[in-house]
Amino acid sequence: MTDGYPDYMQESIKKVKETREERMGKTYDRMTPSEGQEVLNNFHPDYKKEGKEELKIGPSKGRKVPTELAKLLRARSLIDPSEIDLTQVDHDVDVLIIGGGGAGTVAALWSVYEGIDPENILISTKLRHGDSNSMMAQGGIQAADKDDDSPIKHYLDAIGGGHFTNVPELVKALTIDGPKVLKWHEELGIMYDREEDGNFVELPGGGTSRYRLHSSGDYTGMELMRVLRDEADNLDIPVLEFTPAVELLKDDKGQVAGALLMNLETNEYYVVRAKSTVMATGGFGRLHVQAFPTTNHYGATGDGLIMGYRAGVPIRDLDSVQYHPTGAAFPDQIVGLLVTEKVRSLGAQPVNMDGELFVNPLEPRDIEAAAIIRECRGRENGVTTPTGMQGVWLDSPLIEMKSGEGTIEDTLPAMVRQYERFGIDITKEPILVYPTLHYQNGGLIINEDGSTPVKGLFAGGEVEGGVHGKNRLMGNSLLDYNVFGRRAGMTAAKHAKKASIGKLTLDHVNDYNQQIEDAGIKTDKKSPLLLPEYRGKKVLERHLDVEVTL
Amino acid sequence: MSEDEENREMIEIFVMGKRYKVPKGLTIMTALEYAGYKYVRGCGCRGGFCGACATIYRTEDEYKFKMDLACQTAVQDGMFLVQLPFVPAVREDFDIEEVDPKENDNVMLDYYSEIARCVSCNTCTKACPQDIEAMDYVQAALRGDVERCADLSFDCIQCGLCSIRCPADIKHYHLAQLARRITGRYIHEHSDELEKRVQEIKNGEYDDKMKEMVEMEMEELKKLYEERDIREEG
Amino acid sequence: MEEGYLYYPGCTLKTKASDYEESAMAVMEALGKPLVEMDDWYCCGAVQSLTEDDIMHQIAPIRTMCCAQEQGEKEVVTLCDMCYNVLKQANERMKEKPDDLETMNEFLTEDPDYLGEVDVHHIFEILRDMKDEIKKKVKKPITDLKIAPYYGCMLLRPDHVAIDDTEDPHIMEGLLEAIGAEVIHNPKRTECCGSYHTVNRSDIVEKRVEDIVSRAVKDGADAIALSCPLCQFNLDFHQRNTEYDIPVFYLTELIALAMGIEVGMEKHKIDPKSLLKDKKILE
Repeated sequence: MTDGYPDYMQESIKKVKETREERMGKTYDRMTPSEGQEVLNNFHPDYKKEGKEELKIGPSKGRKVPTELAKLLRARSLIDPSEIDLTQVDHDVDVLIIGGGGAGTVAALWSVYEGIDPENILISTKLRHGDSNSMMAQGGIQAADKDDDSPIKHYLDAIGGGHFTNVPELVKALTIDGPKVLKWHEELGIMYDREEDGNFVELPGGGTSRYRLHSSGDYTGMELMRVLRDEADNLDIPVLEFTPAVELLKDDKGQVAGALLMNLETNEYYVVRAKSTVMATGGFGRLHVQAFPTTNHYGATGDGLIMGYRAGVPIRDLDSVQYHPTGAAFPDQIVGLLVTEKVRSLGAQPVNMDGELFVNPLEPRDIEAAAIIRECRGRENGVTTPTGMQGVWLDSPLIEMKSGEGTIEDTLPAMVRQYERFGIDITKEPILVYPTLHYQNGGLIINEDGSTPVKGLFAGGEVEGGVHGKNRLMGNSLLDYNVFGRRAGMTAAKHAKKASIGKLTLDHVNDYNQQIEDAGIKTDKKSPLLLPEYRGKKVLERHLDVEVTL
Repeated sequence: MSEDEENREMIEIFVMGKRYKVPKGLTIMTALEYAGYKYVRGCGCRGGFCGACATIYRTEDEYKFKMDLACQTAVQDGMFLVQLPFVPAVREDFDIEEVDPKENDNVMLDYYSEIARCVSCNTCTKACPQDIEAMDYVQAALRGDVERCADLSFDCIQCGLCSIRCPADIKHYHLAQLARRITGRYIHEHSDELEKRVQEIKNGEYDDKMKEMVEMEMEELKKLYEERDIREEG
Repeated sequence: MEEGYLYYPGCTLKTKASDYEESAMAVMEALGKPLVEMDDWYCCGAVQSLTEDDIMHQIAPIRTMCCAQEQGEKEVVTLCDMCYNVLKQANERMKEKPDDLETMNEFLTEDPDYLGEVDVHHIFEILRDMKDEIKKKVKKPITDLKIAPYYGCMLLRPDHVAIDDTEDPHIMEGLLEAIGAEVIHNPKRTECCGSYHTVNRSDIVEKRVEDIVSRAVKDGADAIALSCPLCQFNLDFHQRNTEYDIPVFYLTELIALAMGIEVGMEKHKIDPKSLLKDKKILE
């Protein structure tokens, strides 16, 4: 048990307390475009020259991606195609969904609504159904439903926040579908925070021009995910847990035709033949790009990018990674975990070691994150933790000064609980934060109907790219997985009704391995990664690679 | 002695009875990993939201079991621990269209009749790593107060520790899920603003403007973005 | 509680027997002694465990006693006969067996100790003691109604928790007379309705119900009056396979009607409203 902040940090907290009254109600001017660009250029990890590698093979040859991802994209397949018997099909389905998080579950539900019998759907998931970044989202979901708002305003916010690199048609789909998604959620019985009259309580987010963020306390992602999973259970949609896909399968006509799955507990493989395959594997935070800690769940290792890329789907915008401005920087046990943007939406300000406000609390995420890094690394106004982390204060007690006692307990119960365990009362003391790896902005290329350029393969959620360009706004990821999970599911269902599958092959994997050879790439790595490695160094050094048989 | 052990204060833990030395200050989860365990089950979000890492433990000087999440609990010297990655509790299927509490004054009992066996021992509440008043929400369900059941259970991460400990075999987390969905669907007022916007979209009221936005030249779009009015307060 | 009585509802009063709660609350309000629901309460358990060493099933009722104690009250009033019986028996056991009370308090470590100083009452005891006030408040005596009172088991057995003479009770008769009803003496009034057999042995219940109702009808009753929600359900619902269809009232509904208070009576299977209209009690 950690007992709150150590004494030397208390001195800085004292300064934060002293300036609180004066800062209360004050704003800090938003940066002009050129100021924003300057802080990004100098301090945002994406804008560093190091840490990226150009792809030498595959459909997006020549593009730059983070080194950690590049290593996996130029690695050999986890499997040896010659060892796999594709003539024995274990599951023959209309729609295979790879990934049991938000996007995958939404895709499954909409496949059913589109007329596919649940028996002819299969969800394959690496961990448990629902284990995903979707489950962890705290802040909320955007959708333009207020009178002073519109899908047009939402469109402009999203595309501007993405520095105009987003695909316009995808942003259109995102913003115009928003209210429809919320309506569906009402019918499913998702409990959103509401006013007395039934209208939603809505908050602003970084980079939004209107109050558009719908939430369920700070358990928004969990509330959505558990209801969606519950509904999938009601419809008896089959789910294979702890059985991730390790490669896509194609047929002799070159279309995607299912996947090869692996039971993580027995290492047995299963051949799934599917008329449509939906990639919904989420993001890659657990690759720890530039050694950042991450808010992501244990399985977020970018498997879908690897499998999709090998099968011929080009990628985009993966050179930019979203660092959430406020990850926990103290105590050590929770470093990197998310401190939701909602904390700032509710009125908390980021302040430095001297209790000074140094940035508008609601800049788009990349600018906010860069400004915090500048305050710590550039101006050396950060607070250093006992383990050497840097951070700035997020002055949470302001929330209650602004909206009354009890507001934090009511609106941020998860956050209160998380800090309470370590002896910190966030209603009275500020939170130490530093940017943390949060979201994969880019991904597999898709069309607005959720189809990828490769026939038979569809994608939705964090694995796809183009919706957010090079920077996603808060509340647009929960919306993304609902909108594109839905579209991918419906399109996959329609496709399945008329598709016919030929002879299954893994030739594309052999081809890819050959390309690695031809490009002269030396690698001892295999991918997809499936799970990150966190075992102790000492143990791994003495690890015997022996299979124990009984 | 390894480098680690020279620099860090080490403590002893017992993983399913087996002794390991791990550095102080880790969570139960990272301590197990330090000790050499690679999680397949028992690890999910690592942030206290998914309930995958429910852990039962006791400390040396205690006879009672304690329950918590491995990812959110600091490891302590002399901890005996085991994880509970799966709970085989029965969940009842339902049709969301058919669970209107106005039509059925005790819909909860219809689906989870075993709640009537609650003896109010409160063991579930004591087991909950989220400090939810689990017994109280079962009691609320029993008297047909679906909304109270939903509100009290809202922070549930569905780890299942409550049900594992229950002497009456109640499936707390499943019945709470039903209560929340009924509440969201039938008890809470729905949004007029949303309904209006959905109709506007259906009627194509934004189609022309959206087309214009999608086709807009970059420079014009940037100008529009920079000049957009931002609602700041209130 | 000076301003009224601390009220323990029980689960059924919040669901199937909401008619009973509504009428009882309205009557007590009119009598100037409103029923004030406890801040916190627990399901009584619905069956009193008679096993000597079964403390587990005493926890729920004793938790409720603790809630009353923490509210600073020494009396709790119930409407449901089953709740009354379970709460009363468990509570008496704690008072009579200090060892059991100690064991209980050991188990409830996280709660304050129960001191054993709360008393449990049934609403009929309260109404009996207010008979004169009720008489004064009667606006429309229900003189044309012939009512057979029915007690069932839980108010009278076992003897040490009985609210009246176990073999020859008169509480209801007295109250019915106070509101002007004609009392039909019912020799079957203390016989069991079949109780929880309703869950899976409706044949047993049907036989009991036919026995009780046929006698009441034979003796000229227009309706039955009672208190227990389970008896109400059985006598009301299980007339469906008999030749009878007389309404089964909660006594408090009749008192309310006599006092001119509007009550819903919405959950009755056999609609009492046509009888009440025939007798000009309802318009």
